[in-house]
Amino acid sequence: MRSPRRSLKRRGSAALCLLALALLSACVPQTRPDEFFQLAPESQVHKAAQTRYFETADDIELLSASAAVLQDLGFQVSESVYPLGYLRATKERSARERNQSIARFFVLLLSMGRYLMPVDLHQKIEASMVARPVNEDATRHEVRIQFYRIVWKGDGQVSSGQGQSHYIPPGEQRMEMIRDPLIYQQFFAKLSKAVFLEAHKI
Amino acid sequence: MRALRRINKTMVGRLLVLAWGLAVVACAAPQPPPELLAPTDAQMKLRSFQTRSFDVADRKQAIRGVIAALQDLGFIIERANEPLGLVTAARFAEPNYYDVLGITVTVRSQAGGRVMIRANAIFNNKPIEDAKVYQNFFATLERSLFIMRK
Repeated sequence: MRSPRRSLKRRGSAALCLLALALLSACVPQTRPDEFFQLAPESQVHKAAQTRYFETADDIELLSASAAVLQDLGFQVSESVYPLGYLRATKERSARERNQSIARFFVLLLSMGRYLMPVDLHQKIEASMVARPVNEDATRHEVRIQFYRIVWKGDGQVSSGQGQSHYIPPGEQRMEMIRDPLIYQQFFAKLSKAVFLEAHKI
Repeated sequence: MRALRRINKTMVGRLLVLAWGLAVVACAAPQPPPELLAPTDAQMKLRSFQTRSFDVADRKQAIRGVIAALQDLGFIIERANEPLGLVTAARFAEPNYYDVLGITVTVRSQAGGRVMIRANAIFNNKPIEDAKVYQNFFATLERSLFIMRK
């Protein structure tokens, strides 16, 4: 016959194992696809930052002015579909930041020159824009733009011989949506100037 | 010595039988089953999840509604083709940037002033076969089309 104390101990250890497993699984961010097809509470805030209205019936002028503004900001227009008022543009820039360089210097110093912390080296910024009429006689247009970026990390030491580009180990990249409202404000301020119209918020 | 020769003979015999069997198998090319391209029940079910008809007469307006709904859901529009009624979009499963969701939507005109909208979604390059995903998408799309009609 099993002693009750031993079975209690076993149950206790099993519960502890379960708890440890639950804690471990809680650490890993889980993504469920069905959640991403529901409107998130913050979607209205993002929409407000990404959208402006223009009182114009000239959709061609609005779209070409948008392309011109993106060009002024250093973007290359990679795709355009006029009937849908769609534009896509991209630009590549250095992603080096002073804060990261300072942190990297101290880590190198503390590790006695043994560890060279990888930093953000290069980034690709993409813009996806849609202009569409919002009333029946198409005298009012909504412009919505989304910016996001892909950042490549590396130690920045191994040069390819050109002196410009650096070796970037595979897998060392991340992507993120650009949520800073200031960037959107700057774009719309330029667009507003280009079409001689005031940009109205939602 | 004689026993050894007998063993060798039987082994050669067995190998010959094996080779003959292999040759027969190799010659008979497997025939594809006639129902290879026929839709399965699961495919038909998936197609019904992915398709919905909307009471919108203007196809272009429906495409614009699809784009607006996808933007509201945080998707980045990657490609749009008005004559074909195609919209392709993707988004990162924030805050987890390793997972990517992709969707292709087609908008086709139907008789009676309606449009048929079909969506195919993928999660990390694997097709999503969960009906709830498509229900959620069409609910957002319905809302977007309703706002546009107002």
